[in-house]
Amino acid sequence: MTAISGTAIGKRAAAASSRTMLLAAFFVVEVAALGIFVPGWLTVDGLLDTSRIFIESGLLALGMTFVIITGGIDLSVASLLALVSVVIGFSHQAGLPLPVAMVLGIGTGVGCGLLNGAIVAYLGLHPLVVTLATMALFRGGAYVISNAAAYSEYPAWFTTIGGFYIGEVLPAQLPVFAVLCVLAWMILEKTPFGRRVYGLGENEQAVRFSGINVAHLKLKVYGLMGLLAALASIIETSRISTSRANMALGLELPVIAAVVLGGTKVTGGSGTIAGTLLGLLILSYLQDGLQFAGISSDWGLFITGALLVLGVLVNENAGRNRG
Amino acid sequence: MGQVLTSGSIDGPRPVTSESTRPDQGLEPTLGAVPVHPSAAAGQDSRVLCHMRGVGKRFSGVWACRGIDLTVLAGEVHAVIGENGAGKSTLMKLLHGVHAPEEGTIEIDGRALTFGSPRDAEAAGVAMIPQELDLFPDLSVCENLYVGRQRPRTRFGVFDWAAMRREARAVFAKLGIEIDVRAPVRSLSSASAQMVEIARALIRDARVVLMDEPTAALSQQEADRLFAIVRDLCARGVGVVYITHRLEEVFENADRVTVMRDGARVHTGPSRDLTTHSLVQMMVGRPLQKFFHRTARSPGAVALKVEGLTRRGAFEDVSFELRKGEIIGLAGLIGAGRSELAQAIFGIAAADSGTIAVDGRPVSIKNAATALGHGIAYLPEERRSQGLHLNFSSPWNIGFGNLGGLTRFGWVSPAQERRTANQYQSMFSIRGDMNKPVGGLSGGNQQKVLLSKLLFQKPDIIMLDEPTRGVDVGARAEIYRIIDELANAGKAILMISSELNEVLSMADRILVMYRGRLNGPYEGPDFSAQEIGFATAGVRVDGTEARP
Repeated sequence: MTAISGTAIGKRAAAASSRTMLLAAFFVVEVAALGIFVPGWLTVDGLLDTSRIFIESGLLALGMTFVIITGGIDLSVASLLALVSVVIGFSHQAGLPLPVAMVLGIGTGVGCGLLNGAIVAYLGLHPLVVTLATMALFRGGAYVISNAAAYSEYPAWFTTIGGFYIGEVLPAQLPVFAVLCVLAWMILEKTPFGRRVYGLGENEQAVRFSGINVAHLKLKVYGLMGLLAALASIIETSRISTSRANMALGLELPVIAAVVLGGTKVTGGSGTIAGTLLGLLILSYLQDGLQFAGISSDWGLFITGALLVLGVLVNENAGRNRG
Repeated sequence: MGQVLTSGSIDGPRPVTSESTRPDQGLEPTLGAVPVHPSAAAGQDSRVLCHMRGVGKRFSGVWACRGIDLTVLAGEVHAVIGENGAGKSTLMKLLHGVHAPEEGTIEIDGRALTFGSPRDAEAAGVAMIPQELDLFPDLSVCENLYVGRQRPRTRFGVFDWAAMRREARAVFAKLGIEIDVRAPVRSLSSASAQMVEIARALIRDARVVLMDEPTAALSQQEADRLFAIVRDLCARGVGVVYITHRLEEVFENADRVTVMRDGARVHTGPSRDLTTHSLVQMMVGRPLQKFFHRTARSPGAVALKVEGLTRRGAFEDVSFELRKGEIIGLAGLIGAGRSELAQAIFGIAAADSGTIAVDGRPVSIKNAATALGHGIAYLPEERRSQGLHLNFSSPWNIGFGNLGGLTRFGWVSPAQERRTANQYQSMFSIRGDMNKPVGGLSGGNQQKVLLSKLLFQKPDIIMLDEPTRGVDVGARAEIYRIIDELANAGKAILMISSELNEVLSMADRILVMYRGRLNGPYEGPDFSAQEIGFATAGVRVDGTEARP
């Protein structure tokens, strides 16, 4: 009989952490290589400033990590980001005080997330199909509300949310994002809710037989995704001080890419916040470095794709070896 | 050569006309050597198609069947019967090449063959009609007949559909079945789909046809029709082996019967020499083996009262009372509706009508969470798919059913989790590395983890569905001890089991479910194995029915 030691997830945690170490090493090598081959790119200012761009997809990636660990997917996040921004902008234009408009926007985000969750949970449809439909629905809604026009009459205080620098170099949203990352990690790893999220992805039937309400669980996960999409929307709207329906077009792809590269299996049941964060950093800085070097964005996309294929292969093999 | 039929039993070669029971089987003395059923011996082609000699197969160290001798004669219907877990299906899978025997040989037409796969077996003329039909529902009847076979082509190299349909129609005409060969299999009734399977066997010139509970999903009329066709096949010299739980069918349709028990063959002989009584006796009738000595208990108040519970198609008008400190055994065959009943009480799939009362108060159970709230827990039948998260560790699994019990100020406490797991590990002597994924543990240890998970939910009413399935003998004894201790501690226990011995030796009272209806309770402690065995097979015995 062996004694029980360490965390309960045991060997899985070991496998996950070795993958995380691998990703971390890859990130360091990537940054070093870009620093050597792209002169002038590697500066503290530059590194920090790039974070303004990826924090929005980073917030979505945090929520997406939960969704994918449950074995689901949410393709509607970028559309929802645009919808929330348009709701805030145009309700403000219609005379609503901006703080109230922001609350309305957050409500829209959570409500639309819950809508996704409700269709998945109660109608038993596959999340891929559901969110493919709501991806069009939310984006269409954004076009209808904005009438394809942009709104950019935001007051100065609002634009500081995404445009303020602490000590002139540290973007204000970076510490906020860091706190949210830690919070997401703690929720996923240390709360009953996080346990259930993992359990749902590995074996939904066993979750049901364990006396857990699967529908409520799915609602919470997709609702959380909606909340994070709303937060990302507010930050992006503030950063570019504009709301328009074609914001964040196609952003769901890099978000899902970061999560998958970070080691979350699309079949559910495994994944970590640290992995997602590293996946996000690797992809964002690679793209940034290539862009800085003047390499066309087509090549950037190609390299990103190649990296993803590699990442998925590594994941699959890690899964197989674990037996 | 002069065909001398061998019985294939340990009696050694002897003419089939005197093949009979072994003397040590506790059969009635009147069943001696008697003339064989005419169609088994007097047919124009009475020769051995297939001969299994001493075959055996182990699963994770446990013999599922061993030392089995079985002959299949041309033109006979050979029924294989036995309790669940007696090794019948394993035997069929050996003959069909799904598993390779670890001992013994299989001879077809006197040649010893090794089947690497069902394809090899089919090439040798052995076809299987499985319980779960393996047809392609969206392909047409005709296409299904040609799956895995060379399709005819026209001289232009494309498939010759006209020829295929012609052949398909010819096969069905031979069977005397009206069927649209262009219709997708999905649109057929289960009886018709079974006919397609039979046609598929016929079109491949199968000479030994294996059927696993072919009538389980059929109505009486459909079953009659099936057997008419089976007879027709036999007249063409095909040997049919079939597994069934319906004893009456054996007498109506089978020429010979092989009875299996605990992985061994206990009897082979003509069906007309047998009675329902002797069959049941052979299936269950060993001297009652006590795995575990039940402690004398005096049950307390009624903990769970179920009245008129019905779910259409699963179970009907089920009423019983379960008292504190009592073990009720729920016996019956697989598919009788026992798991469905337990899952209705547990809120997984609600009943259509009827009432459930806990401690005398009527309750409404909408999902498993409310059931647990009323102190009702359920150990699912399918350990791997319904019970455990196989990729996660044992402590993770034990805690999962009651995460609230591990939570301090909103966070899961690793210390509490460790303490809980250690406590159950020593209580149940769970062996193996607790930190590794539970999927790597043996079946018995997995079951102990699942029992730990159930007990950590702190239930008062415990429903155990096949608690020792796939569990080795050593762990079984421990699980019986745990169940007994739980009852002594005042828990109300409903134990579903397909193993009669387990029910007989553990239960204070026994309920029997047959096709969704409940019989009993039979009061212990001295149950009649025969009586319960009869009831599981749906045979009514006067004076024992609690129900009108």
